[in-house]
Amino acid sequence: MKQDFTMEVASDNNFSVLNRIINILNRRRVRIKKLMAHENEDDFRRGGVIMLLHMTPDMAEKVKVQLEKLIEVEEVSYHEGSTSYLELSERIVDVD
Amino acid sequence: MDALLTKTKPAVAVGSLSDRNPDQPRKKISGSQALLRSLVAENVTTLFGYPGGAIMPVYDALYDFSDQLTHILVRHEQGAVHAAQGYARVSGQIGVALATSGPGATNLITGLADALIDSTPIVCITGQVFAHLLGTDAFQEIDVVNTTIPVTKWNVQVTEAKDIAPAVAKAFFIARSGRPGPVLIDITKNAQNEMIEEFEYKKCEYIRTYRPKPVLQASQVDAAAALIDSAKRPYLLAGQGVLLSGATKELIAFSEKTGIPVACTLLGLGGFPTDHPNYAGYLGMHGNYGSNINTNECDVLIGLGMRFDDRVTGNVSKYAKQAKIIHIDIDNAEINKIIKTHVAVLADAKEALNALIEKCKKNNHAAWLESFHRFAGIEYEKVVRHEFNPSGELMMAEVINHLSQFTNGESIIVTDVGQHQMVTSRYYQYKNPRTNVTSGGAGTMGFALPAAMGAKMAMPHKQVVAVIGDGGFQMTMQELGTIMQYKIPVKILILNNNFLGMVRQWQQLFHDKRYSFTEMDNPDFVRIAEAYGIQARKVERREDLQGALKEMLSATSSYFLEVVVGKEDNVFPMVPAGAGVGEVLLEAPTKK
Repeated sequence: MKQDFTMEVASDNNFSVLNRIINILNRRRVRIKKLMAHENEDDFRRGGVIMLLHMTPDMAEKVKVQLEKLIEVEEVSYHEGSTSYLELSERIVDVD
Repeated sequence: MDALLTKTKPAVAVGSLSDRNPDQPRKKISGSQALLRSLVAENVTTLFGYPGGAIMPVYDALYDFSDQLTHILVRHEQGAVHAAQGYARVSGQIGVALATSGPGATNLITGLADALIDSTPIVCITGQVFAHLLGTDAFQEIDVVNTTIPVTKWNVQVTEAKDIAPAVAKAFFIARSGRPGPVLIDITKNAQNEMIEEFEYKKCEYIRTYRPKPVLQASQVDAAAALIDSAKRPYLLAGQGVLLSGATKELIAFSEKTGIPVACTLLGLGGFPTDHPNYAGYLGMHGNYGSNINTNECDVLIGLGMRFDDRVTGNVSKYAKQAKIIHIDIDNAEINKIIKTHVAVLADAKEALNALIEKCKKNNHAAWLESFHRFAGIEYEKVVRHEFNPSGELMMAEVINHLSQFTNGESIIVTDVGQHQMVTSRYYQYKNPRTNVTSGGAGTMGFALPAAMGAKMAMPHKQVVAVIGDGGFQMTMQELGTIMQYKIPVKILILNNNFLGMVRQWQQLFHDKRYSFTEMDNPDFVRIAEAYGIQARKVERREDLQGALKEMLSATSSYFLEVVVGKEDNVFPMVPAGAGVGEVLLEAPTKK
């Protein structure tokens, strides 16, 4: 059963890193409901993406480990629902 | 080629500046020279490539590196990347290909995809337009980095000369470590031209966000050992991970201690000797009868350095449902991707095997092993006996059987894709690691001829035989020009049935014999080979076959042998699409 997941990706902030991340989701035909990408405030060489995704729990785990395979990606975590997406994205908007 | 054999290994450029007087200003070198020095420092000796506008500064610098780098001018960039793959697959060293921007770079894509899915360490270097022209639709400008993201393990664009050496270091580290794969470096022309100070090359051994080698967990080993020790009918499926980690010796020791039968995937062939008493056969859609049937009879199934490809599993809902699954792999994303795992061991194959050899009890599963041999007997009676002793038209199987016997299963065999590939995988008796080179996951027709060139360049003292169908040969046959120019003594064996045989087989079995665009009118292949100065022969009669094969194998230069085989031979056993491995067919189903 598909449901909403908030997925947080921490990565290096290189050219094309967003494309690499999106490519994994596109290959798996995962629906992206919301997405926010950012540089880290204290170090522009690092950054991350927060995404609200619609998929099955099984797909969430498969996408997580495939994202973690990307060289630039440091860590991926996800939570059920959209609450944490709102919290995380507000935090980034506040910083800016 | 003789010149290549005697060439001494070049001095490594690393540390070449150590005698420099620190008060002297450093000599300036170009970005192109920095690139070539970096390659030499990574122990590269051979490059496969094709020049063009955006890579010309590198080619100009290459002119001065001929004592350290052998460059093979291919006839198409696809040839360069497949040659680099063949080079890497047989040697374990990184294969390197060079190409220009735009179409030069996009011609690499098939090989990159092939290398990614078959875990082959290669580094491709592409020229790119000047940095100030990026994004302007300049001549031969294609966004190569974003185009190749899905087909590379990693890629990067370099726009300044100072970044070239670090990019090469990172590329080589990523390509060879963990689960190996292809890396592409795209270098803008201004970076190739730019002058920078000479530098000390630093190898890359760490990337903050990249953890290529998982730390073996004792708890996972204990859980796996407990399952293995309690199993009555354990069964191990060995993939290419065994070869990549150099774990053949350990696999044999593990199998001999535990008594577990070992089957090989297509890319795993050579990882376990086919003449070992515990060898259970070749897996997959056209694998052996017993190795498929017994997947659904075992009680513990161990996947080792393999990824449960759909050509191995058939219908996953009917795959090994009765068994506990142990999956040992270095790639975390492979665990639970296709087959739900009971015990995962995230590790390099050799490390995991060493731990399991120590943990697992000595055991014997003679009756279980015997069941594989019994199935092999059934397969022999139903399929093999006839294929080895046919009357009438020549059959692919008898050709490969003779080839295997005449080379004692010890040559490097490079296959293309299709029926001939499956027949070779079934009947060539591989004895040694890294002797089987084929396009597995991608199924790239046209792979074999250039890959065989690369394999021969890496292993000049080994007999290298490319076995190719008439369809695949015509996809990259322009590389005969490369073989001619560099006198690369590969042996080329064409099994010609004037059909795209595997597609025709499916059309016959599943599409009511509607042969839609699979029959081919072929040229005179022998005359084509001869036009390239390659000794060539065509065999149509059984009485000429063995002599021709011996003549091919004893030739000291390249040799082209075309064998005309039956037009409508089928490859059996076969797990039909959608069927489970337990439903493997030994012959065509009779129509109701």
